[in-house]
Parts: sequence; structure tokens; C-alpha cells
Amino acid sequence: MENLGFGLTMTVLGMGLVFTVLALIWGMLNLLTRFDRPEAPVVAEAAPTPAVAPAAEGQLTPDEVAAIAVAVAVHTATLRREAAPTVRSYWPGSLLFASRWVAAGRTRQNQSWQRRR
Amino acid sequence: MDELALRLLQGITSITWQSLVMIAVAGLLFYLAIVRDYEPLLLLPIGAGALLANLPLSPLLGEDGMLTILYNTGVGNELFPLLIFIGIGALTDFSPLLSNPRMVLLGAAGQFGIFGTLLAALALGFSREEAASIGIIGAIDGPTSIYVSSLLAPQLLGPITVAAYSYMSLVPVIMPPVIRALTTPAERRIRMEYVSRPISRRTRILFPIVTTIVVGILVPFAIPLIGMLMLGNLMRESGVVERLTNTSSRELANIVTLFLGLAIGSTMEGTRFLQPATLAILALGILAFVLDTAAGLLFGKFLNLLSRGRFNPIIGAAGISAFPMAARVVQKLAHEEDFENFILMHAMGANAAGQVASVVAGGVVLALMGR
Repeated sequence: MENLGFGLTMTVLGMGLVFTVLALIWGMLNLLTRFDRPEAPVVAEAAPTPAVAPAAEGQLTPDEVAAIAVAVAVHTATLRREAAPTVRSYWPGSLLFASRWVAAGRTRQNQSWQRRR
Repeated sequence: MDELALRLLQGITSITWQSLVMIAVAGLLFYLAIVRDYEPLLLLPIGAGALLANLPLSPLLGEDGMLTILYNTGVGNELFPLLIFIGIGALTDFSPLLSNPRMVLLGAAGQFGIFGTLLAALALGFSREEAASIGIIGAIDGPTSIYVSSLLAPQLLGPITVAAYSYMSLVPVIMPPVIRALTTPAERRIRMEYVSRPISRRTRILFPIVTTIVVGILVPFAIPLIGMLMLGNLMRESGVVERLTNTSSRELANIVTLFLGLAIGSTMEGTRFLQPATLAILALGILAFVLDTAAGLLFGKFLNLLSRGRFNPIIGAAGISAFPMAARVVQKLAHEEDFENFILMHAMGANAAGQVASVVAGGVVLALMGR
């Protein structure tokens, strides 16, 4: 019976404390997110911008232009990477008969990194 | 000659029925981990620890044995669970909670299993410290269970840990029948709008700092748990210590998990583990999970009443620490009733709240027990 009383006290106090602490955290989170709000209007203002200049029939929207610019940049980088040849006498990873100079990848520095024209 | 033969065969002559049973238990843990894929990261090392500890005359359990050293280094002084908490913090994204702060109360409701199980354990004749340690299985949080029980009832650490981790992996099996029994299909079909609000980096960084201060001042016993959890999260959200974040969530967490599993397994020594109390703890563990789910659901129903039917009560069941499994189970059940019902993000908010709440509850239990 004594143990039951102890258990009930633990339950009431325990759940009460857990709820109290978490309610305080709730309040704290609300405060934090309230301070967070000033940044929200910036996003809200930025959003309507595309709507101001709608694309005319047959014209590209700013988003499409941006996407194309990114695609071109990525493609150029790929071409540049492919343009830098790698000299390999053996399969990748093999250092058989390689000089220390080759093993350290120094020969790569002798190649042109410019895009082939 | 006879003496030499006896010495050579002392491994065989020292076998007891308890060690044989425990070797079978270790085999069961291996089966659950390898074949069933139930929390393999923990159950496999625990199984290995149990096996190595129960082989006759195992030197690993001697004064300078590896398992004894691991136990004394990290479990006896609660170091390992706290290190794991840094990794958990580094892996957890609290933004669903930050964008929907009211969900935090669901985390509180999901802790009722701790106290309900404590009452049941007291009724079964366990001492107060033991009952509180068994109850903490209801936090559904392995490291918290280990931390609290190693302080209150270290003799029960083995069965409590095995129960906590085994049932945690059974969340998708244990929760659905309880949810189906306590809610109607119409309730499970309730749709809730989710407005994704961007959370600034400043708020994400402030959250772990302020939570540590608030919880630390209110429940000083929870400082180690909440402090380490929030340290990991602060490292993650600050973005300036990527190497530390990666190390805590991968290498450190993995190494400590291995050590922790072996050390816990070493406590499952036959003569200590094979007691009626172990069976009772395994049964009470399931009760804890069921009570957590039921209490969360009932609180969800209460919120449903307050919101005049706009709150889906099954989100309440996600207010436990098993992250993100509980939220997934809740979404799956909502999906079964209505294919286009998406409550995952609400459930994730409740689930993240459950993670914080379980740590707070662990500290509250320790405070009430005067540790």
C-alpha cells in the first residue's frame, strides 16, 4: 500500500513535471520562432518578383534562363575536366614500374588544363 | 596424469545449465540481429558479450578482463550512453518541431508509459529503485534507459537494455494494433494541412543552447543527457565543425555502440540473468510501450476535441523517442485509411518532441528518486 502511494506520487509529480518543462520549452520555441519572423517577409517579398515580369509568349522566364545558365556552366566544367588528359601506363591504382614522380601524380601537372580548341 | 586431464578439460567440466541457456539466449540475439534485422548494431554486440561472458571460465570477465574493463570504463560511470547521445543529437533534425512547436506537448504525453510501468513493477514486488529503472524502458530511448538504470539498479541493466532495444525495433509491430484499437477509421482519415515554414539558421542554433539552459536549470539531473544531446545538435546546426559532427555521428557513435553492446552483454551472466525477474522485466517492457502509445493517442484525442475535430489523434502515438520509426508507423496507418493523407511532418514534430521529452523524463525520474 505504501509502495502504491509512492508510485502514484511519482506518476502525478513525474507527469506534472514533464508537462511543465515541455510547456516551458513550447513557450520558448514560440518566442524563438517569433524572433525568427523578421526574416520571413524577405522571402515573401522575393516570391512575387517573377509575377511582376511574366514571360511573354515564346520568351524564357527568368527561372528558365537561370536553369540554362547553370546547365551551360556545368557542361563547360565537364568539358574542361575531360580536356585534361591523364597519362596512365598501367591500370588505375597500379604503381608498377612508376617513378616516384609519376606515382605522386606529378605528370598531370605537365598537361594543359585549358579547354581544347 | 588425471590432474593434467582435468586441467585440460576444465572448460567442459565447468559448464553449467545456466551458461548453456545463456549461450542459447546469445544465439537468439544473433538470430534477431542477423536474420530479423532487429537493431543489429546493438543486439549483435550484446549477443557477443553474452556469449563471451557465459563461456565457462571466461577470462574476459576476470578482474583485468576486457569486458570488465569496458563495463567499468563506460557503463559503470554512464560515459558510453552520454557519448552516444552526442551522436544522436548530431543526427537529429529538430526542424519539424521548430516549425510546429505545439507538438512538444505530445512528447510529454508519450512518457506516461514510464510511470504506468513503474506502478505495475511496484505491484509485482520490485523495489522502488528497480521499479523506476524498469519504468524507464517506457522512455523508449536506449541510452536514457541505460543511464537511469545504471544509476538506480545496475543489477537489472542487462534485461532492461535488452528489453528496451528489442522492443524499440518492434515499434512497427507493437504500435499499430494499439492505434487501431483506440481510434476509429474516420479519426485516422483526418487530414491536416502542413505549412512548411523555413527556420532560420539562427533559430536552429539557438534551440539547442536555450533548451539546455531551460532544462538544465529546471531539472539539473537531466543536464548530462540533455547537454550531450544538444551539444551534438549544436555542432550539426552550427555547420562550423563538420569534422566533429561527422565523427560524433559516425565513428564515435559506432565505436561506443560496439563497446556498450559488449559491456551490456557481459552483464547477462547466467546466474544473474536467469531469474524470474528477467521474465517480468521483458513483460513489463511491452506494457511500457503499449502504455506510451495509448497515452499519446488519448492526448491526441483530447487535442482533437479542443480543435473541433481538425487534429488527427494518431499523431499523438508518435510522441515517443523512437525516431523516426514512430512517425513512419503513424504515417503508414493514416495512409492505409486514406491514400492521400500525409501527416508525416506533423508526426515527425511529435517524434522529435518525444526525443527531448524522454530525456527530460529520465532526469525527472532521477530527481524524484533523489539521485
